[in-house]
Amino acid sequence: MKNTLRQVFHSPKFVIGFCIFVAILLTMLIYPLFNPGNPLEMIGVGTFAPPGTYVSLYDAIGTNTETLRLSDADDNRIAKALSNEDRVAMVEWFTAMGIDVSELDINDTDALLDLWNENYDESAKPAGMTLAKRKYYKRLNNSLVSLRAADERIIAEKNDEGELEKVDSINKTDYVNIKDVANVKTLPLGTDNFGRDVLKELVSACGTSIKIGLIAGAVATLIGLVLGLLAGYLGGFADDLIMFVTNIFTVIPSFILLILISNSIGQEQRGATVVALVIGLTSWTWTTRSVRSQVISLRNRDHVNLSKLSGHSLVRIVLTDILPYIASYVVMAFILQVSSGILSEAQLSLLGLGPKTTEVPTLGLMMNWAMLYSAHTNGSWWAYFPVILVITLISFSLNLMNTGLDQVFNPTLRD
Amino acid sequence: MKKLIALLLALVMVLGLTACGGSGTTETQAPVATEAQTAAPTETEAPAADTGSTNDLPRNETLYFAGQQWGTVNSWSPIGTNQNNSMAIAGGPSGYRTVMFETLYMYNFMDGSMTGLLANDDWAWNDDMTALTLTIKDAAKWSDSTSVTAADVARTFDIGVEVNNTCGATYGAYIDSVEADGQKVTINAKLNDAGQPVNPLKVLDFLTGVPIAQAAWIDTVVERNGGDATKILNDAGDDVVWSGPYTKYYSDDQKVVLVRDDNYWGQDASMWGKLPVPKYLAHTIYADNAASEVALKAGEVDVAQLFIGNVQDLWEKDGLPISTYYEEAPYGVCLTMPTAWYNMNLPVLAENTALRKAIAMAVDYDTIIANAMTNQSPTFSEVPRSLMNPTDGEQALYDHDAVKDLQWAGNDIEGAKALLDEAGLVDNDGDGWREYNGEKISLNACCPNGWSDWQAAMEVVAAAGEKIGVEITTLYPEWSIYQTVFVDPAQTEYAIFMWSPEAASPSNPWTRVNQFMGKDFIGVSNNWSGNWGQYVNDEADALIKQIPLTTDEAELKDLYTKLTEIYLTEVPSFSLMYRPSLFHTVNESVWTNFPAGDDGRNIPPADCTDGYGIAALYELELVG
Repeated sequence: MKNTLRQVFHSPKFVIGFCIFVAILLTMLIYPLFNPGNPLEMIGVGTFAPPGTYVSLYDAIGTNTETLRLSDADDNRIAKALSNEDRVAMVEWFTAMGIDVSELDINDTDALLDLWNENYDESAKPAGMTLAKRKYYKRLNNSLVSLRAADERIIAEKNDEGELEKVDSINKTDYVNIKDVANVKTLPLGTDNFGRDVLKELVSACGTSIKIGLIAGAVATLIGLVLGLLAGYLGGFADDLIMFVTNIFTVIPSFILLILISNSIGQEQRGATVVALVIGLTSWTWTTRSVRSQVISLRNRDHVNLSKLSGHSLVRIVLTDILPYIASYVVMAFILQVSSGILSEAQLSLLGLGPKTTEVPTLGLMMNWAMLYSAHTNGSWWAYFPVILVITLISFSLNLMNTGLDQVFNPTLRD
Repeated sequence: MKKLIALLLALVMVLGLTACGGSGTTETQAPVATEAQTAAPTETEAPAADTGSTNDLPRNETLYFAGQQWGTVNSWSPIGTNQNNSMAIAGGPSGYRTVMFETLYMYNFMDGSMTGLLANDDWAWNDDMTALTLTIKDAAKWSDSTSVTAADVARTFDIGVEVNNTCGATYGAYIDSVEADGQKVTINAKLNDAGQPVNPLKVLDFLTGVPIAQAAWIDTVVERNGGDATKILNDAGDDVVWSGPYTKYYSDDQKVVLVRDDNYWGQDASMWGKLPVPKYLAHTIYADNAASEVALKAGEVDVAQLFIGNVQDLWEKDGLPISTYYEEAPYGVCLTMPTAWYNMNLPVLAENTALRKAIAMAVDYDTIIANAMTNQSPTFSEVPRSLMNPTDGEQALYDHDAVKDLQWAGNDIEGAKALLDEAGLVDNDGDGWREYNGEKISLNACCPNGWSDWQAAMEVVAAAGEKIGVEITTLYPEWSIYQTVFVDPAQTEYAIFMWSPEAASPSNPWTRVNQFMGKDFIGVSNNWSGNWGQYVNDEADALIKQIPLTTDEAELKDLYTKLTEIYLTEVPSFSLMYRPSLFHTVNESVWTNFPAGDDGRNIPPADCTDGYGIAALYELELVG
């Protein structure tokens, strides 16, 4: 056993796969300690807040400020409000309104703004200009307000008479240290369509999906193993019967079977465990076939015959004389089943046939909601790409471990 | 022996295939959504009417649509019921689509006005509102150059009652007869036992909601179908006679195209005085909303009736020449309010007003509006909940101060908990869930699968349940199942389920109020009409019955206020958001001068086709 383990851990492929998998497992265990709470809590009002650090504006106002005179502050401010395209568009507006711009230097912000402030009229409708374009100029004009504003912004509160009274002011050179602000929230992967913290949800979903994969893998492997052992060892009618059933299930594409069963169970009964069981019950066939073929090659070995002659029971022969010889193979099959179980859950959920949605997050459900809300067309990559990446990493690590094991145990591949 | 087995096997396989093929040919009738739901695709199987080619549609003469037609057009008959022809025949929630078949008047939901189309602007009630008269325009002509007469209106109503099509089923209970005298139409209202009209408001709906068909053509249809009602309702109507500015040009499973009728009578000075600008109206049949949205972004679609999440990103972030009716949220005109209905067949809901109110109070509507509607709806703090939609006209119909204490803006977890505790709905066994009569309260919250904005709303309702200790799980059946269950007045499968009441028409808000609390719909099988939760309240019903006959404004306001009080106290259902009945998003890559909120033209954002919204077609301009 020790020797086997040493051999296994000498396989670089297995070690890499194992490390990735353990890293994922550790993250799953450790991350909730740092960021506890319900992963399905809707913290954001609104859809798809991009990743980043969010600072409470309300709290920032009351925080002690430092004065920093940064030479490029004004430039940054201008660049933020007025891009090069905007400058070109402003010139287009002047031209459309018949204003002479031959003297104007497009990079001279002050001159440009002066001309704009002098001439821009919200109600003007230059000939041939679309509504969309007119609205764009209106927005541009509004964003320029911050450039025209005075150096000081005033914070006012309502006094007892209901009138606004100045309580504070903010200068252009006022800065706060983010550490001093009471409420700062970092969302490394932003929020999803419900305003949930994607990273927190992802970690939790990862756990559910691995659980589903493990249950599905265990069920499939167990069924496949038992049937394969019986068919291979008993032979004859039992073999024919088991292979008949197995072949029928092989011919029907298992995914279609999966869809039909999931659909007929109905959403109310579909918890994560039920989905895992359904996946397991539809994916055992290839394990049966390969275990059977392994067993057939074993059943006429001398030690098995010896055991038979000694009058050992069927169960004992199978468990002690056959199973240990195919144990490595079964472990590999189990790993593959886990991997395909996770993928199957993702596929099912993507079709809306996954587990009930209000209870636990799963990787497939996260993708399903991202798709329903067109995350892929509106550029909200953080809602689905990390999910895909995690699914890929999990199956990649499992498959890598499988290949590593194969190299260790399969004599034809052994170095 | 082996050969025999092989032969037998082959035979079995052939038989099996035949059997499978056989079962595949029995096609089921696809559902047709009764309202403009963006995510309810419809299917059909009828052959296409093929009279033109679409390969040569000049882009600068064609206005492209999206979000209306989801399958091959199966009928061109305005008197049938089995049709999915949403480009030509569609009773939209905000006015009838008058591009091919025309109504007597065009409804404008912006101000509630009715503008004459086939009829002159001279409609009038007699003194006791038992008869309404109007005259048909002299210039109005059918496509075969004969004049539109009052007899056509009368025949359209009569055939509706005879075969019980949408017109007959909707108005048969309110209109007794339609009399024709040359160009003069007299509509006699049905009277109740007291000799009063049953509902004059519904008679007004007839004026804007029913497309008039030619009497001679109706006779042809009746004759060729031997008078059989079912056959008449299913007639494909390929030889139909129309009065509108467009007619069928081409249709198959990819596309449906209407072409302008250059002989259209509306060029007459008594109507538009000109032809509509685009020569062709085309609708590519897209697979789903996402595909339509991609086409809109690419400029292949000019007018889209689609819910697009965060629609402002299209112009703010992507810089596309796309705009909506209003520049700021809610971007469109919200006329309806998708509502969660409590199933009163379930004792736990029927017997516990506190439970109904507590759930409604706990729901975080701001999240629903921000998430499901991406802020394309006013919030319930901006427009407090009542029986009215957010338009100024309806909001003025009740006394806001009188019901102020009853309205809730949502997310009031503590208030909801207190209400439940007070009502004795507490958690006795310590499992975190409250009980009623010793049993855990466990409800489901349902809407059709794939209707993503409604699904998101149901998720938020479920989350609210968890916060107040009431187990609510979401359930999303397929549309084909959902539509058979929620219309069943005896169903106990769905506890909280979603559907929208009526949006806007001359008879609203009365129709909507009746849908919320009216007794007319109790026990009606296949109930698509209203009161889906089967809530019974005699007091409310009596008030509802008084409204159609009330003309005094103060009295009307009093009635609506009382009804609002009952509704907010009893909570038989709760609205989750306000929603445009039609989404109206336009891409100005080719066409411009679409109606907009601040342009002073008073053209409603009705996709350039519905009710008075069709006026936009006469004012479009090419870009550049």
